[in-house]
Amino acid sequence: MPPTLPKKMKTANDLDGKKRRHASAKSVVNSFVVKHRPFSFLRIAAITGNTLTELVRLKVFYFLLIFALLLIANSLFMARLSFQQEFQVLKDVSLGAMSIFSSLLAIVATAQLIPRDLEDRTIYTILAKPVPRHEYLMGKLAGVLLLLALSILAMSALFLVLLFVREHILVNETLRATASLRPEQIQEALHSLKASAFNANLFPGIVIIYLKAALLAALTLLISTFASSNIFTILVMVFVYFIGHLEATAREYWLQDHSSCGWLVKAFLALVALAFPDLQLFNLVDDIVAGTAIPMTLFTQTAVLGCVYTSIYLFLAWVAFQGKEL
Amino acid sequence: MIESAVAVKGLTKVFPIPFRRTKLVALRDLNLEVAPGQVYGLLGPNGSGKSTALKIILGLVAATAGTSKIFGRDSREVRSREAVGFLPENPYFYKYLTGQETLRFYGKLCGLRGQKLKARTNELLDLVRLQDARNRRLGGYSKGMLQRIGLAQSLIQEPKLVVLDEPTAGVDPAGSREIRDLILDLKRRGITVLLSSHLLAQVQEICDRVGILAHGILVREGRVHDLLAIENQTELILENASPEVLAQISALLDKSSTHLIEQRRPQTTLERVFLDATHPSEKNENRK
Repeated sequence: MPPTLPKKMKTANDLDGKKRRHASAKSVVNSFVVKHRPFSFLRIAAITGNTLTELVRLKVFYFLLIFALLLIANSLFMARLSFQQEFQVLKDVSLGAMSIFSSLLAIVATAQLIPRDLEDRTIYTILAKPVPRHEYLMGKLAGVLLLLALSILAMSALFLVLLFVREHILVNETLRATASLRPEQIQEALHSLKASAFNANLFPGIVIIYLKAALLAALTLLISTFASSNIFTILVMVFVYFIGHLEATAREYWLQDHSSCGWLVKAFLALVALAFPDLQLFNLVDDIVAGTAIPMTLFTQTAVLGCVYTSIYLFLAWVAFQGKEL
Repeated sequence: MIESAVAVKGLTKVFPIPFRRTKLVALRDLNLEVAPGQVYGLLGPNGSGKSTALKIILGLVAATAGTSKIFGRDSREVRSREAVGFLPENPYFYKYLTGQETLRFYGKLCGLRGQKLKARTNELLDLVRLQDARNRRLGGYSKGMLQRIGLAQSLIQEPKLVVLDEPTAGVDPAGSREIRDLILDLKRRGITVLLSSHLLAQVQEICDRVGILAHGILVREGRVHDLLAIENQTELILENASPEVLAQISALLDKSSTHLIEQRRPQTTLERVFLDATHPSEKNENRK
């Protein structure tokens, strides 16, 4: 038998009796028409969920294994160091790896989203539905941000568990080694050990690592709206990443040697700063490793800067994507 | 006055060619009107501008000049796509999603939720005969199954207009016939269908009206019956005609100025022969 469209909602088995009677009294057309809303969080959530599913099923989380292996290799090496050095190296390696892995993940995961949709023509099926283009972009970016949040949470958990385990082992070793000392001396040794292990500065540091990755994801999304391939996007972003880390030094050198430069040069430098965000500003790892407290104002300024950059890049991505011929 | 499902006026699309001074004119002053409930076929060789025209109608590409409206709304407005379903040529969809997840995703984009979405998903999986494959990822679907899930997603919000770009491209004759039957069913339900195709026999069978594009220009347009009719010829199909009857007809024709151009036995189609050979169980059921 050739397939036929149902005349009424007779196959809507899941509706209860009353609802079913009510539904079957109407035509199918009227039953399913939903009033269009100019902006819908639910549509964005659908695209976000789909993007996250795509990235998770592409097995991008495998890099977490590399992160775990790196930490294990690091702890084997640390056995030869003093406890202060050990915790410093652990924090340095873990936060540094977290920063690099999240930045890489942000770039690689975002770069292929739009080109893949274009290549598979799935973008046509999405935008041929009543979905505004800005919602499509917001959904895609939100999916990557969610993935980054989950990855950083997983890496942080691994790091903190390792930190806790090492601290616990060293406390026991210290207690054994200092058994013959006075209680005050033992307390002092333990206090010194605990102070160099975990401190609350780690959390703002991790948040800033996340914001840096979010900024890179938004910039990658912007590039991918007009790039011809995802290889091009990745190459441009690697370039941006290195310039972003070096530009502060270059700018400092330029402004020191040419302190009398005019507004044109300053405007140019501002444009460069927008195109190549100063990623060194998001590097608080050195302070955390050294045990220096991160001032609240510095954290807030950096966080706001990250959010502003991300918003600007998302807006520019929308401007570029709005008029794109698909 | 009944509002047209699709109204295209003076549509022109010019693509600049990078690094050259020349430009590519994909469409030139296209005028098209599709009445509600009609099945309209857009024909033309590769590169004639069919897909560009469909994309402009769907708001995916901006026109250089002219206007395009869907049920009175400008195609550039997002709201114009509220009641539109689209199946692109050779769609891949998300390979990592199952058939059911795919329909749920597109349903959510159209604002469907909860029980409504669940019911609609089940209904469409039944309709396109993919209930058994509902939990399989699309990466494992055959070409025909992908086309059917594509058709199902285009119908998710029960659109009033369905746009199909080469709906049977690369599908075997059995799958192609199923899609044809689905389109005919949409027509029976009063849903407007705008399709582009290379399969002229199928277009002739299902379309009410066709437009033929060549080099971006609409060269012929009209009702299928009108375009195919040969004005000065008449066709007689006789059943159980004995040689005597045929001889009498022939003698009668000889006496008049009428010329008998051809006398032959009517033939079935190659599609029919293929389907009878590959689906013998359906042979009697579907014979027309």
